[in-house]
Amino acid sequence: MASFFSTVKRIYLAIYNWAVFTGWIQVLIFAIKALNESGPAAVYDAVEKPLQLAQTAAILEIIHGLIGLVRSPVSATLPQIGSRLFVTWGILHSFPETRTHILVSSLVISWSLTEIIRYSFFGMKEALGFTPSWLLWLRYSTFLLLYPTGITSEVGLIYIALPFIKASEKFCFRMPNKWNFSFDYYFASLAVLGIYVPGSPHMYTYMLGQRKKALSKLKAA
Amino acid sequence: MILKKTKKYYPSRQRLTLPTKPGVSGKPVVLSPKSKISDYCEKGTSDNLTVVFKDLGPQVLYSTLFFFEYLGPLVLYPLFYYLPLYKYFGYDDTNRTIHPVQTYAMYYWCLHYSKRILETFFVHRFSHATSPLSNVFRNCLYYWTFGAYIAYYVNHPLYTPVSETQWKIGFAFGLLCQVSNLYCHIILRNLRSPSGNGGYQIPKGFLFNIVTCANYTTEIYQWLGFNIATQTVAGYVFLVVATAIMTNWAMGKHRRLRKLFDGKEGRPKYPRRWVILPPFF
Repeated sequence: MASFFSTVKRIYLAIYNWAVFTGWIQVLIFAIKALNESGPAAVYDAVEKPLQLAQTAAILEIIHGLIGLVRSPVSATLPQIGSRLFVTWGILHSFPETRTHILVSSLVISWSLTEIIRYSFFGMKEALGFTPSWLLWLRYSTFLLLYPTGITSEVGLIYIALPFIKASEKFCFRMPNKWNFSFDYYFASLAVLGIYVPGSPHMYTYMLGQRKKALSKLKAA
Repeated sequence: MILKKTKKYYPSRQRLTLPTKPGVSGKPVVLSPKSKISDYCEKGTSDNLTVVFKDLGPQVLYSTLFFFEYLGPLVLYPLFYYLPLYKYFGYDDTNRTIHPVQTYAMYYWCLHYSKRILETFFVHRFSHATSPLSNVFRNCLYYWTFGAYIAYYVNHPLYTPVSETQWKIGFAFGLLCQVSNLYCHIILRNLRSPSGNGGYQIPKGFLFNIVTCANYTTEIYQWLGFNIATQTVAGYVFLVVATAIMTNWAMGKHRRLRKLFDGKEGRPKYPRRWVILPPFF
């Protein structure tokens, strides 16, 4: 019985990882095509659908962690997925004025490269039971460049969206009301920017630690 | 002794334990500063003993930690009440009316945190003298942020008060719980002797007869009283988070006491009691 479930689990995770992998391949190809043919301002429109689909699918990963299907700690996946969803839906989708900025190109390329490597890494593990050492090396080394470029793009896009957020009153809930509650999307966005300050070094040093562990295992093998 | 060798590792920062035997699970035995080294040596063996040293990091006194945690809310809240800060948030607060409930809320809040500071210095007996320095930043962030968050809403120029009956009941209930809470703290203090033995005893008397962590119970209900009176989402969020944290602590304490007082070897058996929040658990 137990091995039946673990086989089903493997098949499910293999399908999940390769499916999302395909989504991100699409994003990268469409982005490069748009850059070649039209330039940075056209990138968002070209990648919008596969980007939203692939990024939102990542919510499943939080559930996988919560129900114990995968070992990744929710504390590491939640902030990463949270910030991605915030930028994808809360900034790019909600404030079209940001879509033509050049940071969209750097964002999309950083995200898609990272995710293509990550999902194929897990996809191979589930489907074949192992990963080739060059893929392991890629997974634990490309972040060294792609984390800074990705984070800079995310922070930059949130920052340039701020004046549009303030002017639009979108997602805001005002006082007076019976429950003395308010929500100001502009302040919330500032708070998110604030979280990047301790959050980014935390994520980066976490990955550095993971890298050390993974590559030393490789050497020993 | 270790202090002589390395000035950095003052005694409260050291943790000396016996090395864990391979195959034996559970926490390592911590050497007590009151015992002698010879107490830990096995009989008949030599006078040498291997101990494991762990650096606990820079330490502060618990009383220092509590003082700074509570000072924030005590100072920040009145700032929102007295100073015209809301114009920096884009509200015109030149002609604001202050509702009576807002004034009483400010007195209640300041009373609460003054009480906590006084208890820190005059009532509490701490089982450990110190706490890691990093806890100062973490705890202050929690208390100060929530304090400002709640103060912002209760003192807001667009604040909507509840009925007079409701806030009177809320504050009265809250005050009753605060007094009970103080009494609980005094009972807990008397469980520990001044020589600092700090061992565990079965708490009894007053609400402790029915609830293990009656001090947390009264604290939670005290905040409930404040929220019934002031009715803000911010206040209720704080209540939920604080309750979750205290429930976590209470379950640990209850478990420890039940384990210690298991009725065996002449030890009394820990009585059946609510853990923290009757009638929930």
